[in-house]
Amino acid sequence: MQASDVLRHQVVENLMASHPEKGADAAIGLWEQMATQIISLVGEGGFNSLYARSVFLTQPTFPWLTASALSLQADHRFVQLKTSFEGQTPAEVYAANRLLLITFTDILAALIGEQLTTSILRLAWGVDASDKAGEELENE
Amino acid sequence: MGSKDSNNASATGDPGQPGLLEDTLTEALEKGIKRRESAVVDDEKTILSREKSAAAREDAADMREDAADLREDAVHLREGAAQLREGEAQEREGAATLREQEIRVAEPQAISDEHIVKLQQANAHLVTASIEAHILTEQVQIAKDNLEHLVHYDTLTDLPNRTLLQDRLGQAIELAHRQGRQLAVMFMDLDRFKHINDSLGHAVGDLLLQSVAQRLVGCVRHSDTISRQGGDEFVVLLPYIEHAEDAALSAQKLLAALELPHCVDEHTIYIGASIGISIYPDDGQDLETLLKCADSAMYHSKANGRNNYKFFEQSMNVRAIERQSIEGGLRRALERQEFVLHYQPKINLQSGAIVGVEALIRWQHPQRGLILPEQFVPIAEDCGLTQPIGRWVLREACKQAQAWLQAGLPPIVVAINASAPEFHTKDYFKNIRATLEEAHLEPRYLEIELTESVLMRDAAATDTVLHALADLGVQLAVDDFGTGYSSLSYLKKFPINTLKIDQSFVNQMIDNPDDAAIVSAVISMAKSLRLRVIAEGVETPEQAAFLRDRQCDEGQGYHFCRPMAAEALAALLQTGLSSTLLH
Repeated sequence: MQASDVLRHQVVENLMASHPEKGADAAIGLWEQMATQIISLVGEGGFNSLYARSVFLTQPTFPWLTASALSLQADHRFVQLKTSFEGQTPAEVYAANRLLLITFTDILAALIGEQLTTSILRLAWGVDASDKAGEELENE
Repeated sequence: MGSKDSNNASATGDPGQPGLLEDTLTEALEKGIKRRESAVVDDEKTILSREKSAAAREDAADMREDAADLREDAVHLREGAAQLREGEAQEREGAATLREQEIRVAEPQAISDEHIVKLQQANAHLVTASIEAHILTEQVQIAKDNLEHLVHYDTLTDLPNRTLLQDRLGQAIELAHRQGRQLAVMFMDLDRFKHINDSLGHAVGDLLLQSVAQRLVGCVRHSDTISRQGGDEFVVLLPYIEHAEDAALSAQKLLAALELPHCVDEHTIYIGASIGISIYPDDGQDLETLLKCADSAMYHSKANGRNNYKFFEQSMNVRAIERQSIEGGLRRALERQEFVLHYQPKINLQSGAIVGVEALIRWQHPQRGLILPEQFVPIAEDCGLTQPIGRWVLREACKQAQAWLQAGLPPIVVAINASAPEFHTKDYFKNIRATLEEAHLEPRYLEIELTESVLMRDAAATDTVLHALADLGVQLAVDDFGTGYSSLSYLKKFPINTLKIDQSFVNQMIDNPDDAAIVSAVISMAKSLRLRVIAEGVETPEQAAFLRDRQCDEGQGYHFCRPMAAEALAALLQTGLSSTLLH
């Protein structure tokens, strides 16, 4: 794993950890922000492919994560994912969403490069400059 | 030149004549003047020439200057032209920029949206295609991994297979050779596995093999290899041993692990194993020799009471060669008609009459003499010769029974034994019927003895064949009764006529109350089920009396008669048994 991967993973973890009490809502929020940016570049089809693949690769670790299909309605895109999360403990949601996001961004980085991925994620999540990982990410 | 002239004057004139000298001098002066004048003229010409050259040089210089001026003018002209072109280009650029600006101002939103949509679509296709390519690559890799696994691992137990073992053993030998170390190869064969497979079916047998494999894996180090060679054979490679005793300890551990019962598909199964051990470099330097030696040692372990281990000894090779010789000879024995049947009488314990015989095969070997079935039947089973030999026995027994009847001897039932591979062939019933017809023997004079394991293997198919045989009129007996693994429910299900109490109970029944109780119970049960009951292995008068007291129908054993040739039996049928043997 390269240093840039580690930093990106760190950003995901920091974002996940920033609102642990919100659980499923916070997790879905991150997905919606990221989806807006990525869909503007690769369209719904591209995003769906990336998402379905990420869920498939995460399922062996979290078999209860069965939400591989996205809703056609943009404002309810992650309704199945949310339902999956709602049946789990916050710790499980944290671990599963962390792995799902990392898997998703890993695939994206493998396709379009680390720099572009980082730039998209920064736009999506508005990574805080005071965040150490965010700072390092921006210095990449 | 002057001196020469003077010399000439003195030679030609008279010095005493002054006019002549004057003339001469004048002439000389004139010549000198002319010469000087000529020289002056020459000088003037030279000066003129030099002047002309200087003038020419000046002209040339002027011309060069003119040319330089012309070149300078040309440069100036070119510079002027370039500046003009630059000016025009700047004007054109300015015009283009203006046009672009005009276009941008005119239609900014329409072009941008169209491009974005197209880019999104293209990106979506690229992302989807890339992910599909990832998935395909992954699937190909998984398929390759699976294929690789299939090549090297046994599908039933997931243990390394023969190929992988050979690879690892080859490498271990190389390493042991370089390091000057020993290694051990253990050949393991499960005891009576065939019996379990036959009685409980292949599905249970397979589950048992999986259970055995798990136990074995738990007994060895990570560096050791347990492989399945096929069937119920396993090979263990111990690549790092200090002494041969280390292999003995491993063998003990493996046997101890197998001793615990295996719970398989609602059955509790006990199974042992026989292990043969060979050591590198003492017993062999190469893979094939080490495996062969371990295999030979395993056979000796099995012959010496099973459920133990044995190290290879050079003398075992002799036995292996002997076994190979029997195997080769067996294949030719049928063609050369080297098999013979001996018949052991079955005696009615109340009347003492011979009521039947059991046909027992012998091999009349041209060099070794008479060989008993224990020595060649297991080898025949390994070689797949059970069926042709079984058919030969059936044909001979039927022919002999008919011959005795035609000779006017008292009618008796001739019993033959049926092995599992033979009984479960598709055309078993058809062959029995055809053979009886060929021999012109009534079916009621033929009895087929089947062990419990033969009966219980594929119970549905067995039921069909047994009923067909019973309908034909053939007698059916359960051999070695009480030693199998089956339930008693088959006794009411199958059309059985006779139970044969196993000789292991009969042997001990006088001294062992438990065996006596079992024998009594079996007789009693058989009577209740209206089955005929025969005791096998009756060897003493006490045993005969015990059985008679408990109303056992028939007895068979050395106490009454040893197996004998057909001619001897014919004589016995005429005379009957000595009355002393009956009481």
